[in-house]
Amino acid sequence: MPAFDLSAFLKQLLYDPKNPLLFNNGFFVFFFGVFIVLYYSFRNNYKIRRYIFCFFSLYFFYKASGYFVALVILSAIVDFFISNAIYKQQNASRKKLLLIGSIIFNLGMLVYFKYTNFFISLSNDLFSTSFHPLNVILPIGISFYTFENLSYTVDVYRGQFVPAKKFSDYLLFLSFFPKLVMGPIVRAHDFVPQVNEPYVLSEKDFAKGFYLILSGLFKKLIISDFITLNFVNYIFDDPARYTGLENLFAVYGYAAVIYCDFSGYSDIAIGIAKWLGFSIPTNFLSPYQSKNVSEFWRRWHISLSSWLRDYLYIPLGGNKTASLFSYVLGAVFFVGVVMFGVHLCHFKWSSSVLLSAAVLFIFILPAIITKEKKVLATNVNLLNTMLLGGLWHGASWNFIIWGALHGVALAVHKIWVLLTGIKLKNINNTRWYNVLAGIITFHFVCFCWVFFKAPDFESGLAMLYQISHKIDFSVWGAFFANYKSVLGMIAIALVLHLIPDDTADKFLTRFTKVPMVAYMTAFFLFVLLYGYFKSAEPVLPIYLQF
Amino acid sequence: MNSNRRVMVFTLSSITVYLVVSVIAAISGSSMGPFNKVNLVADIFKAPPKKNTIDITEDTTSIAPPLTNKNTRHTDITLYKRSNLITNFNADTTLPSLENFLEKLKALKTGKKRKIRIGYFGDSMIEADLLTQTLRKLLQKEFGGSGVGFVPVTSQVSQWRTTATDFYSDGWQDENFKTPTTGSLFFSGHLFRGNGDWVEMGDKTITDSTAVIEKSLLCGYVDQPVSISVNNAPLPVKANKKFNRIVLGKDLKRKIKIAVADERLPVYGISFESESGVIVDNFSFRGISGIELNKIDTGFLNAVNTDGPYYDLMVFQYGVNVLYHPNDVNFGWYKSLFLPVIQKVKKYFPNTDVVMISTADRAFSYDGEYQSAKGIDSLIKVQADIAYQTGCTFYNQFATMGGKNSIVQWADAKPSLARKDYVHPNDRGCDILATRFFDALMKDYNKYLTTNK
Repeated sequence: MPAFDLSAFLKQLLYDPKNPLLFNNGFFVFFFGVFIVLYYSFRNNYKIRRYIFCFFSLYFFYKASGYFVALVILSAIVDFFISNAIYKQQNASRKKLLLIGSIIFNLGMLVYFKYTNFFISLSNDLFSTSFHPLNVILPIGISFYTFENLSYTVDVYRGQFVPAKKFSDYLLFLSFFPKLVMGPIVRAHDFVPQVNEPYVLSEKDFAKGFYLILSGLFKKLIISDFITLNFVNYIFDDPARYTGLENLFAVYGYAAVIYCDFSGYSDIAIGIAKWLGFSIPTNFLSPYQSKNVSEFWRRWHISLSSWLRDYLYIPLGGNKTASLFSYVLGAVFFVGVVMFGVHLCHFKWSSSVLLSAAVLFIFILPAIITKEKKVLATNVNLLNTMLLGGLWHGASWNFIIWGALHGVALAVHKIWVLLTGIKLKNINNTRWYNVLAGIITFHFVCFCWVFFKAPDFESGLAMLYQISHKIDFSVWGAFFANYKSVLGMIAIALVLHLIPDDTADKFLTRFTKVPMVAYMTAFFLFVLLYGYFKSAEPVLPIYLQF
Repeated sequence: MNSNRRVMVFTLSSITVYLVVSVIAAISGSSMGPFNKVNLVADIFKAPPKKNTIDITEDTTSIAPPLTNKNTRHTDITLYKRSNLITNFNADTTLPSLENFLEKLKALKTGKKRKIRIGYFGDSMIEADLLTQTLRKLLQKEFGGSGVGFVPVTSQVSQWRTTATDFYSDGWQDENFKTPTTGSLFFSGHLFRGNGDWVEMGDKTITDSTAVIEKSLLCGYVDQPVSISVNNAPLPVKANKKFNRIVLGKDLKRKIKIAVADERLPVYGISFESESGVIVDNFSFRGISGIELNKIDTGFLNAVNTDGPYYDLMVFQYGVNVLYHPNDVNFGWYKSLFLPVIQKVKKYFPNTDVVMISTADRAFSYDGEYQSAKGIDSLIKVQADIAYQTGCTFYNQFATMGGKNSIVQWADAKPSLARKDYVHPNDRGCDILATRFFDALMKDYNKYLTTNK
């Protein structure tokens, strides 16, 4: 007969690299249970409540990434002091110096942990150096909390925000466990004022939180994991082995996976925060409903795109001017396109130069059409933002290519609007035009996902080759018979996606007072469904790598 | 109204119910369907561990001078379980198993000019020349020889095969194991008919720039002479035997282009071979279990060996497609169908040594966890039994790659050694498999050298 194992029980309290803490671990259920009792008991004593919250957040982080928790604490200390110093400093140049210090500290930490090996291999390739890659492990969540630190000190520097006076306020902002691991990226001016507010939520908030948590879990644990394990993983692992049709559906499948995975995790984070009395802005707004790429970026990972807008695009010059830095980075990009053509696509030098010139033309054309120089500046700044945004997702050329494709697409979209905006005035709001534009945008986004997901450029190309050259619809019967369940899941994901944005809200307003039993029933039905689909090996959320 | 209390009430009551059900399920040990996989206390209530049913031993035979008489052969069927061992089931494992073949290898090694041809048959596990490319390289390095061997006219994976380039026109008709046929299929399971079609191939395995490479057209029977073009020059071809090997060029060139205007000529492919040394032909056919080899007609098999044995060694590696259903444990049907195939091989190739390689590990998801197929032990036993009954040698690939659940470890390793379908070792994995097989072959070779001083 199975017996209680005390040592196994105690081991559960420690960090296990093979099984890091995520919202879907059984451990999280207990963690949250203990936390909520304490949090609720001390809800009116803000100081103790804050300490409890900090402790649980840091413990959560320890369970998720081990001793890397020290990095969060260290960066909280450094940024807390620097931001207060910036605030108190009257001398403008010293203020700036402090800001630069903070940026160097945060970006330095990010670059060291995330990009060291990338730069080593870059140096080895370009300058034939022979540095050995370092054994650097990427601490979970570092991409998220360094960005939060940066926006915080920049806001203080800009005078837009009075820095937190208590260290625990700031520590909680940074380590708030619902969003620590995978975002959303929260802004201090939204968050910090909520730390010392009464713990209040309406019945509608409760219902909305429940809905977000459960639907997030459903998207992440049932749809995304199922499609990943049973289809997407092994097709992307070796695209050449599979038919064009399988590859095509693997791309659709991955589009569903990355959306369900990432937005699911965001929803859970936002839902849990809501239950604890915190409001975090929404992170995804049915992005695949977008009718153009620029709309896509207003609906996809909103907390990142707005961060990049406020702290990268605008400082670069935004839509007004382009700094020297922008033009230098732009020039590097166009040289990069030539190198890309020669080395990755195996084009001739002349063709690669032509390719780069064509891309350059796309960026200049809007300025020619409008006869305004600042349009060129906007384009260059957008491109740089997309390139660096791409690189944020991971230290590999594929992410830069992904960012570049989106950057070029934004410029192409601008040209399209300039050329057809007036001519198509009568049809560009019709239903069929929107549907067509939506389908084209979705397929472009999917095309880019190929490079986002593929382990290297060659396998991305292999996948596109299979889709364009090895597609044979006569295998549909066998394909369908084999992958029915996966196709069903992809269909569910896309249908969920097509539901208009405000439907859930309208639906929830009817739930003014639903008995607790109904909530519990819904929860346990989900647990059983999860049990049905569960794979014992946890599939790590995709954005953990970023 | 403040609903913050509802959060706590919901959380605590749900956890209580969840925990109670979990503990009851854990203690009673009874199965509760899907609930088993979401049991909250599964990790802290430990059931007694199940026994691992497979024992894998390694061939640790040290090579010592033989004391036993070779003629009193005492067999031991259980030797099939050993890893890293090519066995003819002789209980005395200090003796070599592939004596006939090893004798030829020794002759080659000691300076005799001769060709040793190996046919390596398999399914998708060896597709795109995986495994065989490494085996070929190692053998050619040790015993001499160059050339990639046989390359079919077209293939699903020709774009991904790194050892040969293969460009071809779209019109080739491919008749194979899975389609109706109008002529004898080759060992590859294919025959191609061209009607104004061309194919251009190149051998990318050759490192020795001075090596003279013989490029031969392998084709079937056609009643009248037909004309083909070789590197854009016309060449009349007399393919009046069931199996024809027509030398198209013997020079330093590593590329050749042929065009076939007459679809009566059944084309198999082109072989790139040095005049002496080891040649390894890769015959992969996706999705098959080996039974399909029966479709190669006996007239063809007869014709292949007219000038002595065409193959000095034939290797058969099948099995992952037999393990098609996760719960199959009975493979009697496979034995009844595959045994005649090997018997036929032995009958038509009496002077060829044969190695039967067991299936590699293949995993299915059982209760959400990837584990070796339940039936893998019984399939390997059936495969060993076929080898034993037909007088073939046997090599346990499953044990050699690490036994139970090794494919799961291979797929999850960083960098990975196998694909995430938990079936196919990738190029790194196949490299290991090939090296281990080569090592086993060399071990056998050393036994031969010791016993035949």
